[in-house]
Amino acid sequence: MKRNIVVLAIVVAVLVVLSAAGWANWQNRKAQAAHILAQQNDAVLVPASASAPAHFSSPLVGKPAPNFTLSDISGKKVSLASYRGKAVQLNFWATWCAPCKIETPWLIELEKQYAPKGFEILAVSFDDLDKDDPKLLAKDKAEIVHGAQLLHIGYPVLIDGDSIGKAYGDVDVFPTSFFIDRKGNIVAASMGLTSKDELEGNIQKALGEGK
Amino acid sequence: MRLPAILVLAFATTLSLAQTPSTSLVPKSPSTKAPAVTYLFPEQVTIAAGKPTGVDLHFRIAPGLHINSHSPREAELIPTTLKFDDSAVTLKGATFPPGTDIAFAIDPSDKLSVYTGDFIIRAEMVATPGEHLVQATLHYQACDNSACMPPHTIPVVFDVIAR
Repeated sequence: MKRNIVVLAIVVAVLVVLSAAGWANWQNRKAQAAHILAQQNDAVLVPASASAPAHFSSPLVGKPAPNFTLSDISGKKVSLASYRGKAVQLNFWATWCAPCKIETPWLIELEKQYAPKGFEILAVSFDDLDKDDPKLLAKDKAEIVHGAQLLHIGYPVLIDGDSIGKAYGDVDVFPTSFFIDRKGNIVAASMGLTSKDELEGNIQKALGEGK
Repeated sequence: MRLPAILVLAFATTLSLAQTPSTSLVPKSPSTKAPAVTYLFPEQVTIAAGKPTGVDLHFRIAPGLHINSHSPREAELIPTTLKFDDSAVTLKGATFPPGTDIAFAIDPSDKLSVYTGDFIIRAEMVATPGEHLVQATLHYQACDNSACMPPHTIPVVFDVIAR
């Protein structure tokens, strides 16, 4: 009889403590949910400034650039290996990417400025290609050509970037650039819209002129 | 003696679980791995069968991101669109909210028409009598203030009871 009373007392005590812990946990979750909701309601878009820090980290920096062969918009096969001996900026972009549109005029200027030193840009389009439907594929390609023309891109524009995205660390934000030195090693990477100065600094690194 | 020991063990385990911080509510940084847009509600609507009815579909865009409105200012930009793949419930039309104009500080003249935060699409639908699971989709393309993510499609699933 006495043992039963002890057990019952323990059971009651456990239930009381569990109820208290459950109540505290529920209050904690409620407070967190309210905090997150408040953050979402207050969300505002802050436009980037030229000096805003970009995202830099890429585990590929310091490693050889994965080789690839893609077609350009005229149908010509272009291999990264054929650029050995030159500094290359691999610029992943898309026609629907608004920040890419801001960056491209800088790239065009920088390419002209540094071409005499052995610098080249390869634009790699991430626009979708309907490979199973020849008519749609032709339309997709025409749209990329049109997008490149609108931006006055003079350097090679390669298509089907999606097929090499994984090799370059699962590229999934645009613009993303990899800066490759004359030996074929990635010396810098940038993700998102950076500044022209930052792009130039990375080009200089690729050319072996970086500080 | 065994019963109190079990009770103490259960108590200690449950208490430690109760004190574990909730991870499901911790906000995550925007990433293309997680959809930029979430369908919020309704989960179920009741409408008159055979009669066009407007239903407000509520969506939420992750903090720090925006998506193009239904009417972006440039043809190259991908508009937000809603599609129904259901024969029993057909989409007769959709009213999208007007976009908000934003611009990058570096190029203030180049305006973008976008949605941020929560937004509502009014879907005009007609249903045959009965209960139907609508599996619609929302197609959008999201960016933050310096980078864009590939176009994405999310499911918009809700029940329609048409009487």
